[in-house]
Amino acid sequence: MVNWIGLAFPFLYLGLLVGALSTFSSLYRKRKASRAQSLAPWFESHHPRDVYLSLIHLDEDDSEKPEVPDTVLKAALLRRAQEDVQRVLQMRNSKQALATLLQRGSIGDDLWQRFLRAEQECEEEVRDVVQEANAFADNWGSFIFQSAHEMAQNQQTRKRMAEIQAETEAEKEWWEKKRSTVQAEFMKELDDEAAAGTTTRKLSSKGSDDEAVLVEAPAGASQQGGGKKKKKGKN
Amino acid sequence: METFTQLPLSYDPSTKHTTMPSPTPALTTELSALNTLHRALTASQSDAQSGIPPPPTAVNPKRSAQITKLRESGNTSFRAQKYGDSIRMYSLGIDMAAGRPLWEPSAIAREELAGLYANRAQAHMAMSSWPEGAVDAKCSVELKKQGNVKAWWRRGKCLAEMGRGEEAERWVGEAIEFEGQEAELVELLEEVRKSLERKK
Repeated sequence: MVNWIGLAFPFLYLGLLVGALSTFSSLYRKRKASRAQSLAPWFESHHPRDVYLSLIHLDEDDSEKPEVPDTVLKAALLRRAQEDVQRVLQMRNSKQALATLLQRGSIGDDLWQRFLRAEQECEEEVRDVVQEANAFADNWGSFIFQSAHEMAQNQQTRKRMAEIQAETEAEKEWWEKKRSTVQAEFMKELDDEAAAGTTTRKLSSKGSDDEAVLVEAPAGASQQGGGKKKKKGKN
Repeated sequence: METFTQLPLSYDPSTKHTTMPSPTPALTTELSALNTLHRALTASQSDAQSGIPPPPTAVNPKRSAQITKLRESGNTSFRAQKYGDSIRMYSLGIDMAAGRPLWEPSAIAREELAGLYANRAQAHMAMSSWPEGAVDAKCSVELKKQGNVKAWWRRGKCLAEMGRGEEAERWVGEAIEFEGQEAELVELLEEVRKSLERKK
């Protein structure tokens, strides 16, 4: 005859133990997840990714709207890859510095956790983009990031060139102003010299006086705006 | 990572533009970038692979040939002392090189642009347009810092001609750091220093 009451105790004990442990573990996990969630994301929201995924899902949930052609999706994917390249590069650049700062205790563990999480996300994002690219065309996944990188580089170059070229107007204005002041000063000097000339050459006729000024002008000019005259001579 | 923000996008097949109602500024720039890229991608190819840029190893040989041609005719005009014409040719070449599809190798565009800007700087200098020459030479140097002695020298010279001695000295000093003791640069530096002393 089995002693049911005697047997109930061990089972009760086991049940309590398992229950307590599972409650503890689920609570612990929830708390950990919520803590991870509360950490601010490393990057701002990924707009190209949102655009791409929204475009993909546009077809599914609304058949009335015109269908988005593949070319738009491909362009959106390329934009997404471009943003990813930028993020990956940024992370790679800051990783070493952050690790050093963490070792020295200059930054908190939170920041490091945020960084690691962002890194993980980036990896997944890259994998996802490669998969999507391969779905559009064979082998596109193998060079989509190369293309994206070149695009980023080219855009940067063009932006920089536009910036420098934009300086031209200001420079030209500045130079016009400077040249006119230099010329004015020079004319004043000439006038002074001319005045001096008239006093010393009071006896000479008016015509020769004018001539004297004219002859002196280029001689002085080659000192002030020397380069200009020199170059002109080459033509 | 499995989540995303669903945006109320819509695509208009007649304009081929993707739009959304009341976007944020960041999204406005993103969408316009997307539309520009889409236009560029569809315009460049008409085959079945449309929309996928070729791997960044190949370039359109036509465009390269045109750029080379423009540069050469610019050089010819320069030698014939038709500086205005040569500036126009170089400018066309610059537009052409800057208009390369974005996904083509950036190194090629940089190389071409560096040469064209340096040449245009020279043509500007021949016309005594120092400010334009200085800006163009700066562009060239920005694109190619090493092995570009001429562009370094040209900006230095332009600055000196405009009477910006200190700036010229700094610039040429930097040039020597990048390019080593090039005779041309050292000479220019001495010239600049002398004129600075004379001013004092």
